[in-house]
Amino acid sequence: MTRKSRRLWLLLLCALGLGSATALTLTAFQDNLVFFRSPSDIAREAPKPDRAFRLGGLVETGSVMRETAPDGKPEARFRVTDGAHGVAVTYIGVLPDLFREGQGVVTLGKLGPDGTFRASEVLARHDETYMPPEVADALKRSGHWNPNQGAAPPAATWNTLEPAPAQPRRGS
Amino acid sequence: MDTADTRTGPSPLPLPAAAPRGGLHRFANPGRFLRLSGQVLPWLTAAAVLVLGIGLPWGLFFSPPDWQQGETVRILYVHVPMAWLAMGGYAGLALGSVLSLIWRHPLADLACRELSPVGALATALCLATGSLWGKPMWGTWWVWDARLTSVLVLFFLWLGHAALVRAFDDTERGARMGAILALIGAVNVPIVKFSVDWWNTLHQPASVTRLGAPGLHVDILYPLLTCGLGFTLAFAALVLARTRAAVMERRIRALQLAAARRAEAP
Amino acid sequence: MSLHWIHVTASYALVCGGFLILAIATISRHAAAKRRLAQLDPRASRRAQEPS
Repeated sequence: MTRKSRRLWLLLLCALGLGSATALTLTAFQDNLVFFRSPSDIAREAPKPDRAFRLGGLVETGSVMRETAPDGKPEARFRVTDGAHGVAVTYIGVLPDLFREGQGVVTLGKLGPDGTFRASEVLARHDETYMPPEVADALKRSGHWNPNQGAAPPAATWNTLEPAPAQPRRGS
Repeated sequence: MDTADTRTGPSPLPLPAAAPRGGLHRFANPGRFLRLSGQVLPWLTAAAVLVLGIGLPWGLFFSPPDWQQGETVRILYVHVPMAWLAMGGYAGLALGSVLSLIWRHPLADLACRELSPVGALATALCLATGSLWGKPMWGTWWVWDARLTSVLVLFFLWLGHAALVRAFDDTERGARMGAILALIGAVNVPIVKFSVDWWNTLHQPASVTRLGAPGLHVDILYPLLTCGLGFTLAFAALVLARTRAAVMERRIRALQLAAARRAEAP
Repeated sequence: MSLHWIHVTASYALVCGGFLILAIATISRHAAAKRRLAQLDPRASRRAQEPS
């Protein structure tokens, strides 16, 4: 065995060891690597009271109520859902621009004894689809997609790999 | 090897260097490397400038806004190419480190040494533009989710490699240490790539995937691919030019050393 | 200029500026090495004409 091939085998062995060690570590720390928990996770395993955690999911259609808190700050009530389960959330403060019904959100806060999640921070989480307004409008008009109901349909159904039809762009 | 020539002209040079060996070591001859890279570099630079000259204005002015993100989506055209370069460049660094460790390829040592500062720059720009994108869209500059954290680790790996290879007086020893660090750090590359699929993250999953239609409409996809190609060409041209400079600097040091020895001799 | 455009402009400026600075540094380093080498080793160009 030449020195070169000995070095090659040694390196392959090291790579194998390092790779499996990393895989094991990542599997072991799975729970800590998760940035947020879904309503189903909460339903399955209730978090400890008074412990802050992140709750993520879609804003349920028709659940958003905007009010003004007694101290004059905007207050929002909505439900975060992942389809199977939902959690009611209250948040006092300014919501991000992308916040709307059907949008993904990640909220940080504590679960109250009444099952309401009191959020101190709301982040918007958008999906991986990007399209010009004309294409989104066309999808909405044709009834293929209602943004308030959830994510856009699979890209294969609308991404025809052709430029968008030329239409007068709406003022923003 | 010391007698390598640095002329970049097209005429073949009589090089009394090490006898040309087959395989990869054909390119280990510094004179031949300088000659070949000298021919490629102007074309590479011109292509990078041309493609970026089309791609950047296309993304900035001639592509549509996103239906929900509006004009902010244009950060995509610089953020995503930087992310591709941060990861693709690191894959290149790992490959160079294998060449350096197993085949003891002298040019691989130099190329890795010159690659890591450019890779660190791309990763830093990826983080900075991502932060500028996250603030208006997500509502935060930074979160410790799996994607953002693993890219930060990638940045530290680039910086660590750049510092480590320069930390030794013996350049060969530094190159070997750097190669080992680069290969250990290579486990992070799949973590960066798949973090958005394996764990819940604030960062959205990949839009451009090998399987299935891209989640980007073509009016957004084409300028992105153009910018991606342009920045890749620019990255390659920068690394090639830095490696050429490093080869010439090594030759300068050898010549200075030889001159000093001649002066000392009686 | 809206907030969104400020973020877009800053991103473009950072990336283009970063690459431009690195390109200028690389070009000057490359030119300096080339000049110094020609100075130290004038034989290099002569050797090309008369093979040893």
